[in-house]
Amino acid sequence: MKRFLGFVVLVAVMAQASMIGLDALGEEQVVGGSAAAAGRGFAGGAKTGEAEGLSVVNPARMAFDTKVVFNLNFLMDLYNIQRHGEDFFTKTISMPSFNLSFPMGDFGAIGVSLWQHYSSLVREEVSDSASAADAKIEYNGSVYEIVPTYAVRLPYLRNISLGASMHIVMGSMHRSLTLGPNKDAVAEDDVWATNNADITDYVEGSWEIEHHPGYYTGSVQYRGRQSSFYFSYTTGYTLLNKLEYNFRFSEIDTLIPSKIDRHIEIPAMLATGVNYRLAKRHNVMMDLQWRVWDEDIENVAHSYDMRSITKTQNDFVASVGYQRDGSGLYYDPLWDRVAYRAGAWYKNWYIEDVYEVGGSIGANFPLGRKGIALDLALQGGKRFSESEGNWDEVFLGIRLGLMGIGSWGQSRR
Amino acid sequence: MKKKNIAFLILCGLFAALLSACLFESDDSALSSWLGDQGLPDSYKVQTLSINEMLPVSAQAYAGYTVFSGVERPLLGVQAGLTHDLVFDIAFKDSAFLAEMAGSDSAAAFIALYVLKPFYTSTTFPADSLPYEETLDLKIEWKLDKGKDKKFIDSIAEIPDSTWRSELKDWTADNSADTTYDLSIGTKDSLVKIDLPSALVEDLKQAGVACRLQLRVSAPQAKRVYRFYGTATGYVPVFRMKSVSDTDYKSVPPFRMSEVITYNDTCDGCLLLHGGVLDSLVVEYPSDKILEALSDFYGDAFPFDEGDGYDVRQAVVLAQFTFPRDDSEGISELGLPIQVVVGSFIDSLGTEIRRMEEYKLNRKLVVESGHPNMVFFDGDSLSLQVTYGMRDLINQANSGRNFKMMVRLGYPVLQAKDSTYQNYVTEDGDSSYVFFSHFDYARYDFGTTFSKPATLKLWLATKRGGEE
Repeated sequence: MKRFLGFVVLVAVMAQASMIGLDALGEEQVVGGSAAAAGRGFAGGAKTGEAEGLSVVNPARMAFDTKVVFNLNFLMDLYNIQRHGEDFFTKTISMPSFNLSFPMGDFGAIGVSLWQHYSSLVREEVSDSASAADAKIEYNGSVYEIVPTYAVRLPYLRNISLGASMHIVMGSMHRSLTLGPNKDAVAEDDVWATNNADITDYVEGSWEIEHHPGYYTGSVQYRGRQSSFYFSYTTGYTLLNKLEYNFRFSEIDTLIPSKIDRHIEIPAMLATGVNYRLAKRHNVMMDLQWRVWDEDIENVAHSYDMRSITKTQNDFVASVGYQRDGSGLYYDPLWDRVAYRAGAWYKNWYIEDVYEVGGSIGANFPLGRKGIALDLALQGGKRFSESEGNWDEVFLGIRLGLMGIGSWGQSRR
Repeated sequence: MKKKNIAFLILCGLFAALLSACLFESDDSALSSWLGDQGLPDSYKVQTLSINEMLPVSAQAYAGYTVFSGVERPLLGVQAGLTHDLVFDIAFKDSAFLAEMAGSDSAAAFIALYVLKPFYTSTTFPADSLPYEETLDLKIEWKLDKGKDKKFIDSIAEIPDSTWRSELKDWTADNSADTTYDLSIGTKDSLVKIDLPSALVEDLKQAGVACRLQLRVSAPQAKRVYRFYGTATGYVPVFRMKSVSDTDYKSVPPFRMSEVITYNDTCDGCLLLHGGVLDSLVVEYPSDKILEALSDFYGDAFPFDEGDGYDVRQAVVLAQFTFPRDDSEGISELGLPIQVVVGSFIDSLGTEIRRMEEYKLNRKLVVESGHPNMVFFDGDSLSLQVTYGMRDLINQANSGRNFKMMVRLGYPVLQAKDSTYQNYVTEDGDSSYVFFSHFDYARYDFGTTFSKPATLKLWLATKRGGEE
C-alpha cells in the first residue's frame, strides 16, 4: 500500500494536461476518464455486466451489477502541440477518477466516485538570453467532484433501472506566471535597477457551485437480451471560482491582492447510449452526450494581453465501441478470459472551434482468481483548434485502471 | 499475485517516468510563441519615468533618544552640540566597611572606566588622531539613598532598567562638585580613573548600613566624545571606595549604567540630523505630481478607482530620489562618509507602518564614483531608494495619501567604492570592512536636500496589455 501511495504522489507531482483552454476550465475528462470506457472509445454507457461499476453519466447502470467494484484510473498522455510549423512536446500523468460501487441486491446499489472533471495543468519554463525570454508558467487547477450515486431496478419491470447521483464540486485553481525583466526599453545606465527583479503574477482560488451544494444526474436504463440503452439528464449549474490575484516580487513582497469571482454557467447535459449484443460476449455500442452552451467562459486572465473570455460552442461526444467480454471461468486460458475493446470518438470541445478525433484499443486482464483486474487502454488522436490562442495537439496516451472485484455482502444463489 | 501487481504498477511508473524524461523536451522558441498566442509575454517590459521638480510639502526633524543604555559602549563628552553624560546606578550593603570609612580621614573613592580600545586602535580609525590629551572639567553629581538591610538593595535590583532610564530624563541631583581629570588616550592607555570629590566621600561616610548611589559624570566643556566599555562587556566600570589604607577598599560594579544626551545644537532654518543618537527626519512629498506623471506616461487615469481601488496595472520595480546635497553645515566626527538610511511609510492593513527600504546596488556607478547614498563625500547629490514606499503609494493611490519617507544617518563607510555594501571575507581569508562598526556622532544639515527640487525616477513593470 505504501508503494502504491508513492505512485499516487508521483502522479500528483508530475501532473500536466492539455494546453487548450487552460484559462477557462481546462481539459474535460469525459465519463470519469475511466480506463474501461476509454478502451472502447468512451462508449458503453449502456453496457451492463456483473461488474461494470459506476458510471458518472449513467448512474442507473450500476443497478445491474452483482459485484462490488473498486477502480482507480491513471492516465499518461504525451502531447505534441503545434501551430505555424512550430511544435513542442509535453506530457501528463494524472488520476482522473476513483470509483467504488456496492450492489445490495433488491435494495439497489450505492456507489461513490471521485472525479477530476476538469483540469488545467501545465508547468513550463522558457529562458533564452538572446531573445530576453525568461518565463515560468504554471497552471494547477482542478475541478473535482465527489459523486455519491444510487441505482435501483424497478420492482416489476426488472429490466429497467433508475439511477441518480449528486455531484459535489470542489477543487482549487492557481496560476503562477513569473517573468524576468525585458531591458530593451531601458537605457544602459538604468539597467542595474532591474537585476534580480522577477515578477510573478500569481492567482489562487477555489471552486464551488454557486448557491447549491452540488448538481445532479438522473438516468434510466433498459437492459434487453440483445440491446440495452439508457438516457440520462444532468442539471446545469453555475461554477463559482473565487480568485485572488497577487502581483508579487516575492511571497512576502506583493501589491495588495485583488479579488475577482468567475461565474461559469455550465449547461445541462443530455446523454444516451445503446449497447447491442451481436453474439455471445460480442458487443457493439454507441454513445452520445451533448450540452448546449449559452454563455462564454470568463477566463482567469486579468494580466497582460490575455483574452478575458473563452468563447464556447455546443459540445458533444459521439463515440462507437466494441467489446468482446472475457470468459468468467478462471480455468479458461488467459487470452480467453481477457476482455478486448476498441473504439473511436469525435468530440466537440466546449471551446469554440476546438474538436477532437480519437481512437483507442483496450483490454481487461484478470489477474488471478481473487477478482483483481487491470484495465489497459491505449488512445491516440488529434485535437484541432481553429480558435485564437489554442494550438493543435496530437496526443498519445495510456490509461491504466486498477480494478478490484468482490462479492461482499452477496449471498450465494 | 499481489506482489506481481505491485511490480507491474512500478514498472508502468518507471516506464512513464523514462518516457517523460528521455523522449520529450520542450522547445523554448515554440513555447515562447505559444505564450504569445495566449497573450502572455515571455518577459515583462521595464519602462523608466523621471519626475522632476519634486518639492516636499513638509520636512520635520525629530530628535532621537536622550537616554541610552550604557551596556555596550557609552560615551562621555561633547560632539556636534550634543553633550553625553554617564550615569551609574550603584548599590551596596556593608555596615562594617562603611563604619570603618566613617572613622577614617584618608577615605576616598574613584570610578574607573575602560577605554573602548577596539575603537581607538582600529586600523580604520583615522591614524593621526591619537593620542587624545585633554584636561577635562568634570561635573560630578550624585543622589544618595540610605537603607538598612538587604531588602533595600533587592528593591533597587528590582527596578526595571527602562524605568530607571526614563527617570533620568528628570534628573535632580542631591549634591554636586566639580573636578578635573587629565585624560590621555593613546594606543596603550586603557584605564580612566576619575577620583571622586571629597564632598561625595563625606556623604558616603554618613550612609550607615546600605546605600544607593546614583552618580552622574559630565564633561560639558570637552572637545570631543570619548568612548568606553559598558556594563555588559568584559571591562565593566568599577566604583571603588577606600577606607583606611590602600589595602582596605571595596569595589562595586554598577548595577547599570546610562548615557544621557543633552541637545545644545541650534541652527535656524536647518534640518539637523545627528548620527548615533537615532535622530530622524520625516519628509512628505505630494502624490499629485507623481500620479500626473504616471497618467501622462500611460495615458490612463490616476489614481485608479475601479473595483476596490487598488491599482495593480503596474508595479514599481525600483524608485529612486535624487536630491541636491550640501555638506557645508555638517560636522563629521571621524571624517568618513556616512550612509543615509531610508524608510518609507506604507499601509499595512489600514495602519501606517514604517518599512526600511532596501538598497539595490548600481555596481558600475559605485565602483566609479562611490555609493550615491552617502553624505560627507565627493559630489553634490544624494540618491535614496524608496521602492517599497513608492510601490505602495501607487498601488493605493486611491487613498489620497502623500508619499512619506524617513531619513537617518547610518554607519560610517570605510570603502565608499566597494560594490558589496557589506563587510565580507576576501578570498585570502581576510576581513574586508565596508562599514565602520561605530557610529559617527556627526551632525548633518538636510536643509538643502529637502528644500530644493529633487528628481524621482521610477522603473516600472506593467501588467497592461496592448503595448507590445
